[in-house]
Amino acid sequence: MLVDSTQIIEALWETLWMVGFSLLFSALIGLPLGILLVITRKGHLWENAPLFNVLNGVVNVFRSVPFIILLVAIVPVTRFIVGTSIGTAATVVPLVFYAGPYIARLIENSLLEVDKGVIEAAEAMGATPNQIIFRFLIPEALSSLVLALTIATVGLVGASAMAGAVGGGGLGDLAITYGYQRFDTTTMYITLGILIIMVQGLQTTGNLMSKKIRRS
Amino acid sequence: MIQFSSVSKTYGSGKDAVQALSGIDLTIETGEIYGVIGFSGAGKSSLIRCVNLLERPTEGTIKIHGKDLTSLSKKEVRQTRKDIGMIFQHFNLLNSKTVYHNVAMPLLLSGEEKKKVSQRVADLLDFVGLGDKADQYPDQLSGGQKQRVGIARALATNPSILLCDEATSALDPETTQSILELLRKVNKEYKITILMITHEMGVIREICDKVAVLESGSIIEQGTVFDVFTDPQHRTTQKFVRSIMNDGLPESILNEINRKEHKHIYRIQFTGSTTGYPLLSRVSREFALDLNVLYGNITELQGIPYGNLIVEFIGERADIQRALLSIQQQHITVKDVIRDAG
Ligand SMILES: Nc1ncnc2c1ncn2[C@@H]1O[C@H](COP(=O)(O)OP(=O)(O)OP(=O)(O)O)[C@@H](O)[C@H]1O
Ligand SMILES: [Mg+2]
Repeated sequence: MLVDSTQIIEALWETLWMVGFSLLFSALIGLPLGILLVITRKGHLWENAPLFNVLNGVVNVFRSVPFIILLVAIVPVTRFIVGTSIGTAATVVPLVFYAGPYIARLIENSLLEVDKGVIEAAEAMGATPNQIIFRFLIPEALSSLVLALTIATVGLVGASAMAGAVGGGGLGDLAITYGYQRFDTTTMYITLGILIIMVQGLQTTGNLMSKKIRRS
Repeated sequence: MIQFSSVSKTYGSGKDAVQALSGIDLTIETGEIYGVIGFSGAGKSSLIRCVNLLERPTEGTIKIHGKDLTSLSKKEVRQTRKDIGMIFQHFNLLNSKTVYHNVAMPLLLSGEEKKKVSQRVADLLDFVGLGDKADQYPDQLSGGQKQRVGIARALATNPSILLCDEATSALDPETTQSILELLRKVNKEYKITILMITHEMGVIREICDKVAVLESGSIIEQGTVFDVFTDPQHRTTQKFVRSIMNDGLPESILNEINRKEHKHIYRIQFTGSTTGYPLLSRVSREFALDLNVLYGNITELQGIPYGNLIVEFIGERADIQRALLSIQQQHITVKDVIRDAG
């Protein structure tokens, strides 16, 4: 094995850091975007066809670019925001561009599952649009929103490992530089094992939380 | 009071336009229980949803206590909605919230203080008979209980009007009965005007004071439940009335009638005080006729007895004519069953 345990732990931290920050920022973008995608559609709270079409189009564009290409394509943007295009901090930018629209779609789906009748009841009791979103729509969808964010997080773990390919740091970087390029299979399997445990842990936690919210 | 004046509602436009309501004129007096009945697609939901502007009428005005809703700002509409409770066929409760929270919701939205809210919710839950269910979730309740929560929630803001959109259509007959009783109690104790739409004539008979029949977006008949049930004018209304009044002739009797050659078979309708009158024996004696009761029933409508007899008159034709005339003079309705086609 060409690496020692401190290197692995450092890589693990980098991955957690990347996933954590990109999750935070993509949720900050994806959540409002997902809500807008729901309420601007026809017959909904804040029907606005032009806005819906624009948002929908933008999300589709980002969703159709493979992450590995996105990673390279938005280098100028990354440089502009972070000041550099390599390193862990720099990978957060493409990760957010990747996961933000993805989360928006997932959120949109969750919110669309909420029974229209509930929104109708809210309107009938004189709720404001804000109240409808925050006291009816989101609480009713919460269990499914948690699952959606879990899926997004797992996706981010995978994508952050891919970011290793361009020197982004983290477990993926380790696996590629040592495991793949220098044929250090032990390092490869160790990082793989850590990634698997991480994903399992995330999914289980997400499922448990979602279940707890649904009380079943 | 709710006043519809020339209300029309069209969904969509151009080729896809669907006219759901056309020229609705309807007045619902304060304190009434008013029923609107119609077949599926008649426009019932559209009609009731116009009252709280969940649907905006395309033409015409709707006034609540004299105030024209269509002229109000969004904020004023929301304010007015707090005076109009609504319950739904599928209850539309928040599944993520307890019974307590569901009922408290309208109050919390208005920013009521917590202590007042909990007192009010407790009172409401007692009123609907769910005092012990405050901490349960909707999916732990039966349909009838869910509708009770819906009713408690609708009453939370002390509305003067309650709208019921097929409130009992998802419930079994027994539960329907208990929910209707509760609605009657709401009407009596809180003096709340109730507008309910339904496709079940039984619901109308059970608790409504007045009824309007809706067909293809127009009101084809309206009046007191007693008048409409005892003397329906329009074919559709007659169909609805027959569906529960049992005054259509059973098959076997119909066959019997058709077999009789010189048939003098009449439907005699008694209402109110005339039900107590010994009509048949008097007619039989006075006109020397034999009377054969083929079918009969007596029901009660809005507390007034209402009887319906199918009688075969046997005797001289002239005597029968005189007998019929005499019956009509008592203000009792007689109809020729054969011509009326059962
Ligand atoms: N949002 C809508 N968009 C387009 N058409 C609609 C809409 N809502 C209702 N309609 C149409 O308007 C007509 C009346 O519908 P409405 O829901 O008022 O009938 P209803 O009497 O309540 O029927 P049901 O007993 O089936 O609930 C129907 O032809 C229906 O297809
Ligand atoms: Mg309907």
